[in-house]
Amino acid sequence: MKLSWKPFVLSLAVLLILFPFAYLVLLSLASDWRFPDLFPSYIGLKNWSKILSSETGLLTSFASSLLISLSVAIVSTVSGFLISRAVFYHPKKNTLTLLAYFPYILAPVVFAACLSFFFLKMGLFGNVMGVIIAQFIIAFPYALLFFSSFWNKKVKSYEDLVATLGGNRWQTYIKVLFPLAKGLLLICFFQTFLISWFEYGLTSIIGIGKVQTLTIKVFLFIKEANYYYGALSCCLLIFPPIVLLYFNKRYVFKKLA
Amino acid sequence: MFLEIQNIVKNFGQEQVVKNLSFSLDAKKTLSILGKSGCGKTTMLKTIGGLLSPDSGSIRLNGEDITHKKPEKRNIVYLYQEDLLFPHLNAFENIAFGLRLKNIPKSIITDRVNHMLKSLELENQSQKMPNQLSGGQRQRVSFGRAIITNPSLLLLDEPFGSLDAGTRHRMQGLFKNLSKEFEISSLFVTHDLKEAVLMGDEIGFMQAGNLKVYTDKNEFIADPETGVEEEIKFWGALAGLEKNVDLKKH
Repeated sequence: MKLSWKPFVLSLAVLLILFPFAYLVLLSLASDWRFPDLFPSYIGLKNWSKILSSETGLLTSFASSLLISLSVAIVSTVSGFLISRAVFYHPKKNTLTLLAYFPYILAPVVFAACLSFFFLKMGLFGNVMGVIIAQFIIAFPYALLFFSSFWNKKVKSYEDLVATLGGNRWQTYIKVLFPLAKGLLLICFFQTFLISWFEYGLTSIIGIGKVQTLTIKVFLFIKEANYYYGALSCCLLIFPPIVLLYFNKRYVFKKLA
Repeated sequence: MFLEIQNIVKNFGQEQVVKNLSFSLDAKKTLSILGKSGCGKTTMLKTIGGLLSPDSGSIRLNGEDITHKKPEKRNIVYLYQEDLLFPHLNAFENIAFGLRLKNIPKSIITDRVNHMLKSLELENQSQKMPNQLSGGQRQRVSFGRAIITNPSLLLLDEPFGSLDAGTRHRMQGLFKNLSKEFEISSLFVTHDLKEAVLMGDEIGFMQAGNLKVYTDKNEFIADPETGVEEEIKFWGALAGLEKNVDLKKH
């Protein structure tokens, strides 16, 4: 019988992919693990139980990260969809589309430095609203470019058809355009959520340490050489994207396929 | 007159696509308009439907000036060559679409849609999604969706252009029956000579943005511009040729 290497190679690949995640979980459960010990001296839920205490501020960071990312994702997706339609019908649509790439020309930190003067003047420095607006400036052009492929002559024909059947603009969106773009809307929501969730440069400058999202927290713990809390915050950081990925796989990709 | 179009002009930049368009149509009649691609037929229909605004001229429907009325307020339905069925709705819901926009009670919608499905011979297809229907069935659903809203005027832009010859023939018959049953007034645009003659109570010919409406079909046939005479000659010559072949065989 011929021996097939395929299952072994595949298993090895899966192990290599899963190892960093398993290691993160192990690290989050450990404390006092020093070289050359093979295993940590303590494995338990001590670190996890501290999430609920105000000492680490992880629960607050998790909540504010969730608030910021959900706000950015919802506002960017909806406004990106609506404004991409206006751009598609605009006579200078190519120029407007080109402008949407502008925030990506600069590195986020440089971009934040450019924005900081205006944010300071408007009193948006160091608060959650300021971070939401700053991240929106990055996520919105992404959504705009993402939806530009949705609009075409056929969609215009659908819109015209609804109008001649007696539908107003609101009915066109609710009964036709949103259902047609449902899959894309969910994917865009997922992507803009991730952009916001893992954003560091803009958040650290506009938030000036007062707005501590989970991503900022991870870097703080790593700077302090507190790997156990760093791993714990990483686990929290991964949790919402995994939930979103699950929903996307179950409800979106299945339908798109 | 039910529909009165007077001196409609429509330009796109420097190009005049519709030139001084004037014609009228009686209620419950079909005017078929023959024209080659790019002669301004679609622009004319979209202008009448309110999807494009004319540069000058006026449109009156049932005595009311609708030139600047929004398309959703005109009660004129524009049907494309493509069936444009909504992919997220089944055949029943596609037909019911226009009625649901008007917030008509559910029981009335169900009765009217079921009656329409019967007229369209689609009773057994009501729960099917558009991708499960054939080209002819899809076009029938599209017709039903337009007619069920009881439009004052139906604008048909080469509605059978994408169908095969057999389905096209059946759809032509079905449209004639539906026109009679639902007393539809319509403008039927086509580039098919035979279809133009078959479908219209009146007939017009459009060329380079100008529309000429004929008083009767004989005048249309006699006009060398329409190409009917050429067609008759072609088929006559072919028939003669076949006769000769038959004689030689015998």
